[in-house]
Amino acid sequence: MEKQQWALEDPTIGIIFVAASFIFFYFVGWYSARAAKTSTDYWTAGRSIGSVTNGLGMASSYMSLATFMGVTALILNLKVPFVYMWIQFGLSIPLITLWYGTPLRRLGVFTPAQFVRERYGLNTSYVVAIFMVLIMVMYALGQMIGVAKVFEMLFGVNYTLALVCGGALIVGYVAIGGMYGTSYNAAFQMVLMGIAFIVPLGAIMKAMGSSGWYFPPLLYADMVPAMLDAVPDFFDMKYGFKWYFALIPTLTIGAMGLPHLGMRIYTAANLKSARGAMVWFTFFCGITFSATYAMGFAGVFFQATSGAVIAPEDYDKITLILNGVYNPPWVLAFVIAGAIAAGLSTISANLMAIGALIAQDIVATIKPNLDESKTKVLNYCAIAGGGLAAILIALNPPDFLVVSVLFAFGMAGVTVAPLVILGVWWKQANRYGATSGTLISGLLYIAVSPYIFPNFVVSSGLQSALGMSGALLCVPLCFFLVTTVSMITNRIPALAKNIPLDENKRLVDSIHGWTVYNEQRYNSTMAGIVVAAVSGFFVIYAILPGGWVA
Amino acid sequence: MNSAYKKEIRYTLLFSVLLLLTGHCGLFFVAFPPLRGHMLFGFPSQFIIPVLMGWIGLMVVAAIQAKLTNDLDDEIEALEDVVEES
Repeated sequence: MEKQQWALEDPTIGIIFVAASFIFFYFVGWYSARAAKTSTDYWTAGRSIGSVTNGLGMASSYMSLATFMGVTALILNLKVPFVYMWIQFGLSIPLITLWYGTPLRRLGVFTPAQFVRERYGLNTSYVVAIFMVLIMVMYALGQMIGVAKVFEMLFGVNYTLALVCGGALIVGYVAIGGMYGTSYNAAFQMVLMGIAFIVPLGAIMKAMGSSGWYFPPLLYADMVPAMLDAVPDFFDMKYGFKWYFALIPTLTIGAMGLPHLGMRIYTAANLKSARGAMVWFTFFCGITFSATYAMGFAGVFFQATSGAVIAPEDYDKITLILNGVYNPPWVLAFVIAGAIAAGLSTISANLMAIGALIAQDIVATIKPNLDESKTKVLNYCAIAGGGLAAILIALNPPDFLVVSVLFAFGMAGVTVAPLVILGVWWKQANRYGATSGTLISGLLYIAVSPYIFPNFVVSSGLQSALGMSGALLCVPLCFFLVTTVSMITNRIPALAKNIPLDENKRLVDSIHGWTVYNEQRYNSTMAGIVVAAVSGFFVIYAILPGGWVA
Repeated sequence: MNSAYKKEIRYTLLFSVLLLLTGHCGLFFVAFPPLRGHMLFGFPSQFIIPVLMGWIGLMVVAAIQAKLTNDLDDEIEALEDVVEES
């Protein structure tokens, strides 16, 4: 069968919708940036964002183009196992808030790297900041690929031109607005992408014969028998227990290490507002994710029953293709604007995090006395540099845009999350444990990926490409190293004298809200031994062969 | 050590377990194959239960978590001097 070309016949309406949304985003960014009087305001929006706006912002940073396009593409490819993979992403903000969001906020820092600096010292924070920049560039890369694919379909231009133009527009918008612009824009973008995704999906479901079209996220059960006739293995689990279990270290713990998600907690007006935003986040996240599964379901159903041929390189465009087939052109134009909003909100959060890491965590610690005007220039340069790096890497993209995003999650789980979790909850964690843990585990995670040494891998296939097998090994390895190395070095006087142990212990008490110090709190050696033993068990489990397929 | 500290540790561990159960309840269907294939609301159980738990279940747990941890903060602040946010 001949491959079909999927592009807009008349791009005029699409261009009008996208241009109008960009003008609006630029205006909100410019208007909001006027409120930022200092660099801290620029990064945290003056800590003044309300809980609904912040909840929308949190969800928006998460509802990336990966949700809009990448997920539906991989549902087309993997079917239900990919739905399982996505469901757990809703845990991110509640877990971050529970484990370290509020303590970090009390400490007055707005990136996990800053916490690492306060808790473990400068050298460890440089190592973590470098890993974080890498994580954010890979995350932004997935979004840039998505933006390029939307522009490619919209304007009918080639991928490279679409990437350079779309990328430049977005980087300019983020640099102008700072976090004020991205927070208020992100809220608007979440509303836009929610409507642009769910309402047209209802029309698609209706055209496909579903009686539950008025609430597409959940009411498509009447299509299930037809789906089972057309694609009998759609609801099959396919993979083994290890595959699903690996989602916890890779994506659940991985999300806890992503700096751009944590930043949303620090923009809240107060701790109670941050927790309110967390509840709103789970609502917005749940409804949009469920709609995504429905869109993926519709995509698989369409491909199986219509006779249309969708080439694998066009899988990322399935949401747009379905709208092009079942809805009028102006609806498709609206969906394209929504997809752009989805990419924009996430890239802006990624670039803000890259900017904060470079400007605040690396340069500001090396040169602490930079004046405000030079700091502002540095902020803009850091954001533009991060954006440029993502654009350059996206010139030669992986097959699916979501691959680079998920690999970045795994790296965050390996290099950032264990340091922050143990740093907040265990006084005995020290800089030797943290530095050796993040360096050894982070480098091993990269080394066992199929991209560096194809023969030096823990597993093969999808779990290896997405970083799942690497994270199943390296996340517990990092916990193991941080706990064991810390416990050993704390007992070697020559090394222990280089650690401000007393200061670190008081810091841990204070970020939990205690003003009167108590030596026993968060200081159990037995807890360290238990964490090390459990982590050691999972390191062995990861190395053992088998368990990945059903 | 006072009860607020113990409560903080207990809440953190309890809500971590509950959150993991809502987001990863699909693991039960992988571990126990007889649970699969039953129809619920017109969908196979191994699909719709994880989807609903990952949305509605998660919202309920997050709401309870927000309420209890807010109360705990108040309790810690009442016990000692208030820590000012920077």
